[in-house]
Amino acid sequence: MKNYYKTQRTLLFLGLVFAIGPCLADDELDGELEIRSAYAVPSHGTVLLTAHVVYPQSERISAALKDGVTLSFDLEVTVSRHRRLWFDADAVDLMRKRELSYHVISDRFLLRDPEANTQESFPTLTAALARLGQVEEWPIAVDSQLRSDEEWQVRLRAGVRRGHMPDALRALMFWTDGWHRTSDWYSWTLVR
Amino acid sequence: MDARALRRWGLRALVLVGILAGIWALLLLARSVENSANFNRRQPWILLFNVCGVLILGVALARKLWRLVRDFRDHVPGSRLTARTVGMFGTLVVVPLLIIYLFSLEFLNYGIDSWFRVEIKQGLNDALVLSRSALDLRLREQARRTEFIARAIAAHSGTDLLVRLDAERRDAQATAITVYAANGRPLMTSSDAGSAALPGIPPAEVLMQIAAGRSYVRLEPLAGGRYSIVTAAPLPRAMGAPQRRYVLIDYAVPTELAGLAEAVQAAYTNYGDMSVTRQPLKANFKLTLTLVLLLTMLGAVYGAIWSAQRLTRPVQDLIAGTRAVGKGDFAMRLPLPSRDEMGFLVHSFNDMTKRLRRTSEEASLSRQAVERERERLAVILSRLSSGVLVIDQQLNLRSANDSAGAILNADLSAGTGRQLAALAEGAALLGSFVAALRARLDQGEREWREQLTLSGETGGRVLLWAGTPLPDEGGLVIVFEDITALLNAQRNAAWGEVARRLAHEIKNPLTPIQLSAEQLRRKLLPGLDTEHARLLERATRTIVQQVDAMKQMVNAFSDYARAPEMQLAPLSLNQLAAEVVELYRVQDPAVSIGLELDPQMPEIEADRSRLRQVLANLLSNGIEALGGVVGATITVRTRWLGTSKPAQAELSVSDNGPGFREDILGKAFEPYVTSKARGTGLGLAIVQRIVDEHGGRITADNLGTGGARVRVLLPAVAEKRTELRRERA
Repeated sequence: MKNYYKTQRTLLFLGLVFAIGPCLADDELDGELEIRSAYAVPSHGTVLLTAHVVYPQSERISAALKDGVTLSFDLEVTVSRHRRLWFDADAVDLMRKRELSYHVISDRFLLRDPEANTQESFPTLTAALARLGQVEEWPIAVDSQLRSDEEWQVRLRAGVRRGHMPDALRALMFWTDGWHRTSDWYSWTLVR
Repeated sequence: MDARALRRWGLRALVLVGILAGIWALLLLARSVENSANFNRRQPWILLFNVCGVLILGVALARKLWRLVRDFRDHVPGSRLTARTVGMFGTLVVVPLLIIYLFSLEFLNYGIDSWFRVEIKQGLNDALVLSRSALDLRLREQARRTEFIARAIAAHSGTDLLVRLDAERRDAQATAITVYAANGRPLMTSSDAGSAALPGIPPAEVLMQIAAGRSYVRLEPLAGGRYSIVTAAPLPRAMGAPQRRYVLIDYAVPTELAGLAEAVQAAYTNYGDMSVTRQPLKANFKLTLTLVLLLTMLGAVYGAIWSAQRLTRPVQDLIAGTRAVGKGDFAMRLPLPSRDEMGFLVHSFNDMTKRLRRTSEEASLSRQAVERERERLAVILSRLSSGVLVIDQQLNLRSANDSAGAILNADLSAGTGRQLAALAEGAALLGSFVAALRARLDQGEREWREQLTLSGETGGRVLLWAGTPLPDEGGLVIVFEDITALLNAQRNAAWGEVARRLAHEIKNPLTPIQLSAEQLRRKLLPGLDTEHARLLERATRTIVQQVDAMKQMVNAFSDYARAPEMQLAPLSLNQLAAEVVELYRVQDPAVSIGLELDPQMPEIEADRSRLRQVLANLLSNGIEALGGVVGATITVRTRWLGTSKPAQAELSVSDNGPGFREDILGKAFEPYVTSKARGTGLGLAIVQRIVDEHGGRITADNLGTGGARVRVLLPAVAEKRTELRRERA
């Protein structure tokens, strides 16, 4: 019985650390991170997503970028079917990655698509974030993935994190890393 | 393999895995420092293995330490030696490890800080300034060229303008020249890609610059580490031109310059990334190093405990073995730990216990043999009809057999270790025996063999006793035999022979003597005068009377000598006693004959007529002895002695007369011994003979209140009587 209470105390302590730790972290990414609007429409056999995301913008972020920090912007979308007695069935689970950095030689902000290996440059951070927040006609599914007689739920979530931090460090600093934020899920029913 | 051994091997395997994981983590750490990319990839595994190793070792070590503390508190043999050894080993291992750890932390801080030294930062900034300067020079040059081209083509339009654009592009080594309207609509373009398609609307920043009437230039980083210089300049408005126009020209930055710029950019970015991760990196390295230290330290302490226990285990085994030997367990065998000095010691211990066990077994066998001999001797002694006493120099009884107690009429079974004199209190025979023994010893005699006559309350007893000193102990063994019955038997046999001869030699001439005397009286009496006739009459009557008396005496002797075959049959002693007493009550009413019969008396095996003779003789003797006694009383008593071995029936006849005279008390049952004026003196002798024939015992004594008592003890069962008679023989 004594050991049982000891174990219980240890678990309580660990629980407090895990629960309170993230609250103690400094939020380096201060500012608004929100999905203002989003919708998906079928078009020529595909489902196209259009969204407007507002990413946080501040002097601290700008300074960090100018110091060489790279920020990763993830846009995660899922399309799922509701099931009554079981977990929802995911038909689509996509992630769009973009990296924002400051190019010190040209004094411009670079927005890079690491998968397509393309990039755009912008004179200001505002311009770069505005471009980043405009998602236009992103193909997220094809008709064959989504049966028309069922109701599909689309969910969208945006996230920002420090881009080039080693995974091990990120794992170690999960409860003190202020360079990691995610928005709430933005969800709606797909109209077909 | 049992569960305990399996658990032990499992624990060892876990410890080994933990140690290997620690070494592996150390190797990975060493290799990863050389390559940060590898480090990023491997570090989670390093951390995972280290944490697992620390946890496993921590649990194992906690168990070991807990057991060590418990053994120490419980004073388990060898625990103190183990604790000291662990302390010594642990100190030798932990202190250097801590020193190395502290130095490593210092070096780690210094090493990581050295990556971000001010000089490096300054060098990067200088390189950046230099790169920018070089590129700015080129930017300004290309901007001026663009303004020059704008002025050169301002007057052209249509096909002429297109030709001129191609010429200028080749001349300026530009990648593309495009002429836009003021609203950003492309009008005409020339590109080295050879594409006829028009480019899109230029960025807003270009339009804003142009709208302000200023030239525009910027450096555009391209994918793949390439650069281009984008310039724009308004075209001077020519006469008659329908709208304002401007030109936008892309110049490729030379590959060499672009490479250098990209290298500076990459270095700057990497430095920025690293500087941000500086503190986490240090913390991470410290954590890893701490984990490795814990792994190593826990492993070392665990190894120290294991080694100490391994070293002290033979000592503990020896202690346990010594204790077992101390408790008499010679079967203890210790496992041989090794072939070193400790192994030699354990081997010697095992050899010693082996010898001890062999010796102990031999001693045990000897002890068992002695015990068997002793038991056999005890059985022999208990079966001996002779009494055996063993005493020490102070006359303390050391041993006595049953016959000794029976002969001396004393309970010697619980008297071992006590003084013989103390045991003799209340036992007259034993007291007489002790007195005779003490007299012998006082005379300095240690060895003798002779006859001893003892006197007791129930008459005397004749023993044949022999004393022999015990070798080396100073004690004595006294063997004695009750020869009273034997002497009586010899005496009886002698008297029987006398009686038989008397009956044969005397009885035969008595009748002729009597007949002759009667014939003399008959023949001579008529012829004699009165005086002579009276004389003859008196003489012949005397002869006849004396002959009758002699006949009675001879008949009595004949009865004594005659020994008819016993007719044994179950009979009630109470009933027999009642019958005989009733006859004598009628015959002599002057004497009061009391009867006290034991209702528990069972039937015994005896010859009814001969027992009747016994009781009749005793009553006759009693009545005769009470002649002249006022209030003469005889008491006949029966008593069942069921608890004696063998079970016996007691018949006693007592009176309130003068009792036995002291001089004849010891030989009252001998023939021809009597205190009466008349009588043959054979009555009690015959009684004793009959009692002997029944295997019984008869004693005579005087009561303390006055009067005589004769006690007859008869065995209840015939076979017991036979056994008793055999023992007596």
